Amino acid sequence: MNSATSGFTLSAAVTVLFNTALAWAKDASPALTNFMKSVAGHHWTTHGLADLAVFAGLGFVFTNSKAVSRMDPNRLTAILIGAVVIAALGLILWFAFV
Amino acid sequence: MTISTNDAVLLAHAGFGVTGCLAALWVFVETLNANPGNAARIRTAALVAAACMAAAWICGGYWYVHFYPADKALILKGPWPFAHNLFMETKEHLFFITGILAFLLPIAARERLDSDAAARKLVLSLAALILITGLAVEGAGAVIEHGAKIAMGARQ
Repeated sequence: MNSATSGFTLSAAVTVLFNTALAWAKDASPALTNFMKSVAGHHWTTHGLADLAVFAGLGFVFTNSKAVSRMDPNRLTAILIGAVVIAALGLILWFAFV
Repeated sequence: MTISTNDAVLLAHAGFGVTGCLAALWVFVETLNANPGNAARIRTAALVAAACMAAAWICGGYWYVHFYPADKALILKGPWPFAHNLFMETKEHLFFITGILAFLLPIAARERLDSDAAARKLVLSLAALILITGLAVEGAGAVIEHGAKIAMGARQ
């Protein structure tokens, strides 16, 4: 796989985990929610923009990283699947029980 | 027949979401039989999935910010408050995951899928994850809609 695919795959894995962590933080902290509301008019809008910024920013950083380019492509796929499962379950369980 | 802006934006959100899921399914099926002859189709389908999810993101975001607060208040006073507390709270954040995966799909689909087994596995995984999370989000939307509907019925 080329370096852009590897870089953005790892970036996506980090971004989905960041997305869940930010959802938890917003739910636990009204101050953070209010701050995010002040940034783009609504906390959800700011949340989406933050996710896109992390995905794009880390994607370009990882694309230029030799360490990421050398990673086993199958391992990258496994990391992405694991991150999505953890992130999705993290959202469901948090809003179901917390 | 009158269709309000509220309804039009909501239907566009759901419609783009379903079309994005179908495009991801298209990518999955084509990638199972990846060869030089269908490489262009795979890339096109991946772009369609990404574009539809972007459109669903924009329409859903506009509806959520401008129209949902009234429905939310109704749902929370109705018999199914979990339609908001669990389903909407999860959906509004799970959707970001679907979107990020959809934006990654066209990047991964540029690989030589007919000769690179690892890239093929990545694209198949991405397409399947988009389909699964996308359908979960669609299902959650139906529960939220029903939560609002029965709350309205309980009020009358």
